[in-house]
Amino acid sequence: MRPLAIVILVIFVAAGIVLGALNADLVDYDLAFFRMQLPKGAALLGAMVIGWLLGGLTAWVGVSTRQRRQLRADQKSPLTP
Amino acid sequence: MNHLYVLAALIPVAFVLGWWASRQIGVRRSGAEVSELSSDYFRGLNYLLNEEQDKAIEVFLKLAEYNRDTVETHLALGNLFRRRGEVDRAIRLHQHLVSRPGLTDAMKTVALLELGEDYMRAGLLDRAEALFSDLVAMDAHAPSALRHLIAIYQHERDWHKAIEHARRLEVMTGEEEAPMIAQFYCELAERSRQHGARAEARDYLRQAFECQPDCVRAFMLTGRLLSEDGQHAEAVTAYEAAINADIAFTPDILPPLLNSYARSQQMERAEGFLRDMLGRYHGVSPVLALTHLYRQRDGERAAVDFLTAQLRLRPSVRGLMALIDATMDKIEGEARENFLILRDLTRKLLEGQAMYRCSRCGFGAKAHHWQCPSCKNWSTIRPIHGVASE
Ligand SMILES: [Zn+2]
Repeated sequence: MRPLAIVILVIFVAAGIVLGALNADLVDYDLAFFRMQLPKGAALLGAMVIGWLLGGLTAWVGVSTRQRRQLRADQKSPLTP
Repeated sequence: MNHLYVLAALIPVAFVLGWWASRQIGVRRSGAEVSELSSDYFRGLNYLLNEEQDKAIEVFLKLAEYNRDTVETHLALGNLFRRRGEVDRAIRLHQHLVSRPGLTDAMKTVALLELGEDYMRAGLLDRAEALFSDLVAMDAHAPSALRHLIAIYQHERDWHKAIEHARRLEVMTGEEEAPMIAQFYCELAERSRQHGARAEARDYLRQAFECQPDCVRAFMLTGRLLSEDGQHAEAVTAYEAAINADIAFTPDILPPLLNSYARSQQMERAEGFLRDMLGRYHGVSPVLALTHLYRQRDGERAAVDFLTAQLRLRPSVRGLMALIDATMDKIEGEARENFLILRDLTRKLLEGQAMYRCSRCGFGAKAHHWQCPSCKNWSTIRPIHGVASE
């Protein structure tokens, strides 16, 4: 990994710890089926991680299904040299 | 409850960021694939340049497996198969290309052109003809298709169609095809002459002259027609015009010309013309003709003197043989035996020699062809000038 990326990562981790410490008070969340109590900072972090993962997953699924469809179409008209 | 709105806004932002990051990784990875492909491509190219065609085929086949979209790779592969003589594989590959959906029109016509060449190579001339005709009708790659069509008609000796297509090619490319068309008319004239249709032959010759006014072959055919009709004086004029049109063909034109001189009893004119040729032409044929003429008119002595003087200027095996023949009668005893051996040797020396050579591809022949059997060019085969032949 490039040094710049490492510096940025360190800054973000530090910011995450500071924000987590500053927003340590627990909050009630009502998610219709169940209720839970979470620190404000953890809720923030969790939301970002879940959003990030969902976005990555969607893009990956989209690309790989398109590739698989193309491969199948190509194999239907095989090259016979 | 205020920060819940912040959370709700953060989730879509993170979603978009994650989506974008994933796409970025994908792009970088397919970039690596592309560079791998192009290194394969250059490896294949390298094999091709080193004439290692089987290795090149292997690499290109792999390339085609990888990336079924590259039409160029398939075309290169098909070309290789054809060049290696694996015409059936080339045909299958090009047929597959042509039938592939989603091919651009330009690529499709290129593949069709290649397929036509495969058919020609495989000897399926009728299929090739149909295909090239379609291409010409579609006005796609028409010049190449027309050239192939002309080659097919030449092979089938269908000179009328060859002329028609050569004229279309002329119009299309603006390049001069007249010498080739004149040769086609000469072929027609020759065929008519052999079938006894003399008026028809003369008409074809007239059209040949219209295409190329200084067509040697047409002059020679005219001379031949005239002398066969007994018009020897006119035949002389035609043959002289043939030599003036292209002096390199002298060895072929002189024998019938001399015959026509003799038949029309114009030996004065013959001497004048041959004397004039000595200055322009460096072969031995006019020397031999003049020697023959002097022998008949002034006797053996004058002929041999002329021949020896000329041979000093233009050394030639044929001239040497004529000299040996001329002096043979005067020699007796052991020297005569040696002379006989010498004469046999020179005759053997001449026997193995190619008398004609194509100026385009170097094809050597003992007889003259107007179309080179090897490279199919017209009137590129010419008499060889050298010590052994002319
Ligand atoms: Zn040739």
